[in-house]
Amino acid sequence: MSDNGAVTGGVIKYARDNIDTDVIIPGQYLKIHDYAELATHAMEGLDGDFHSKAKNASFIVAGRNFGCGSSREHAPIALAHSGIKAVAALSFARIFYRNAVDGAFLLPIEIGEDAYEGTSEGDVITIDVKAGQMRNETTGRRYEIKPFSEIIGKIIEAGGLFRYGMQQQQQQKQKQQQPGS
Amino acid sequence: MAQNASTLFEKIWDSHEVLRKGADGPSLLYVDRHMVHEVTSPQAFEGLRANGRKVRRTDLTVATMDHNVPTTPGERRLPMADQTSDLQVRTLEENCREFGVRLFGMDSPDQGIVHVIGPQLGITLPGATIVCGDSHTSTHGAFGALAFGIGTSDVEHVLASQTVWMQKPKPLEIMIRGSMSVQRAVTAKDVILYVIRKIGTDGGAGHVAEYRGQAVSDMSTEQRMTICNMSIEAGARAGLVAPDEKTFEYLRGRTYTPENYEEMVSAWKKTLRTDSKASFAKRYEIDAGRIAPQVSWGTNPGMTCDVTEEVPDPAEYGGGDRSREDSARKALQYMGLEPGTPMTEIPLDRVFIGSCTNARLEDLVEASRAVRGQKIARGVRAMVVPGSQAVKRSAEEMGLDAVFKDAGFEWRESGCSMCLGMNPDILMPGERCASTSNRNFEGRQGTGGRTHLASPVMAAAAAVNGHFVDVREMDMQDGAV
Repeated sequence: MSDNGAVTGGVIKYARDNIDTDVIIPGQYLKIHDYAELATHAMEGLDGDFHSKAKNASFIVAGRNFGCGSSREHAPIALAHSGIKAVAALSFARIFYRNAVDGAFLLPIEIGEDAYEGTSEGDVITIDVKAGQMRNETTGRRYEIKPFSEIIGKIIEAGGLFRYGMQQQQQQKQKQQQPGS
Repeated sequence: MAQNASTLFEKIWDSHEVLRKGADGPSLLYVDRHMVHEVTSPQAFEGLRANGRKVRRTDLTVATMDHNVPTTPGERRLPMADQTSDLQVRTLEENCREFGVRLFGMDSPDQGIVHVIGPQLGITLPGATIVCGDSHTSTHGAFGALAFGIGTSDVEHVLASQTVWMQKPKPLEIMIRGSMSVQRAVTAKDVILYVIRKIGTDGGAGHVAEYRGQAVSDMSTEQRMTICNMSIEAGARAGLVAPDEKTFEYLRGRTYTPENYEEMVSAWKKTLRTDSKASFAKRYEIDAGRIAPQVSWGTNPGMTCDVTEEVPDPAEYGGGDRSREDSARKALQYMGLEPGTPMTEIPLDRVFIGSCTNARLEDLVEASRAVRGQKIARGVRAMVVPGSQAVKRSAEEMGLDAVFKDAGFEWRESGCSMCLGMNPDILMPGERCASTSNRNFEGRQGTGGRTHLASPVMAAAAAVNGHFVDVREMDMQDGAV
């Protein structure tokens, strides 16, 4: 990540809706505790070349309802440990979104039809959360991304749910220690 | 605080909200019941250990092992053949011992699929908030509980604090009018598959669904569990049904039913329902009387049709939506199906009757109606996997094991089994299966496996015939022994 929080990298595009957790990380691998090994099976249900492609890519671009299905946190973990920094999709299934944020594994970025249609496999894009922008460096086009809600933004900034909770606790303690408060 | 008219979901939510960040911010919800299984809990316990934390409420936490365990009779012991499964199961045992969590292990008479044993043991209660590291936690909503799946980070958070952060979803009404009884052999599974087909796999996104209407009132508690179970397949955060006498009776006298249960029932009767003037953010209406037995043809549960229909043409299915058309084309390719093929002419290799959707006693009774006195078709391998050891015992007392075994079915030990390809029960590449489970995703039941979702009676009849049949036309034995 650069200083301003923007990430630049290559795109792997899956032009389909409903990419489910069973293709992101098939059930038989949920027993694997080593994340590097888990990552070698990421997207295996859909794309056997994903792991090698991910070496030169930082993003997945996909359609609606990405991550539908199971509550397995292994899904964002397997993608993150393959080198994916963000999934840019038209929409996300609730638990996948939550898991991605909670563990600060990767950024779930909601994009519009224009960005989805305007991005192809192999394009280089920059996702700049602070600017609320996705830039396609290959085509030169810019797209707006849906901003994170305040709390989601804070959890991401803190580096996950637990760190966020600890920060909150510390802030509260500091407040209590201030005289007169 | 004076209450305006509220939905059942809102009432449960409000009574569990510990705090809220700002007007629209997420809420910290108190968790009444936390159910834990072997797959999504190891890292959570590891996190507790690394930070020197304890399980805050061991009395509200229970664990079982269901996803990985073999269902082959005689093989349910350690060490298990699969080393990684063995490790995961042992890890859960050790974690439960170390942290003092009650475990229904592989050899427990109460072991079973977590969503089957919760209600069976009286752990699931109306009006409660229930979480589990499993998306099908929505099953418990059938009891008027607010129950939803969480990921492993949240499992750790709940273990440590007995609370979970959540943005308040919106209330969704799914009104199922009419009566199912007008059509024999149309089941709760057909209703929920039909609902998902109509509203889409993200039709419930951002919402908690309340199932209402005559058909839902008519349903048994176990049928309601089937409906609520698949709420997640419609993208809903959870699904629930207002509790009634059937609900209260189901939980009465179970092993862990609270001592003051009758007092609780009196209180629930006053509070646990949607006020007549409450409003829902979104509504769908379905006429149960029009629902035929459903079978999925594609690779998500929304890709479903009536058993009397044909495999759809992708262009027609897409209806001008390119992405929808593409999905259908890819699905048919994966499924090895040609448009225009009657659903009743697709030959099957396997039949799986089981899972948290359809492996309770009523499901097995239903399925047995199509099997009694019959033999399964040549070349078909069929198995029945009861949802819990208790379901298995009850079914055996009714003689259902003999009915299935005589017909050529395998009668197995309880667990998640072939629903999700994590244990030895999997499909081989290209094998086609009629399954009473909840997901027909690519590879869900094993790499290259092809899943057709259907009700227990439809799956059982398919086993006998080697292909799907319209069970409404079958002359079925009355399996209600």
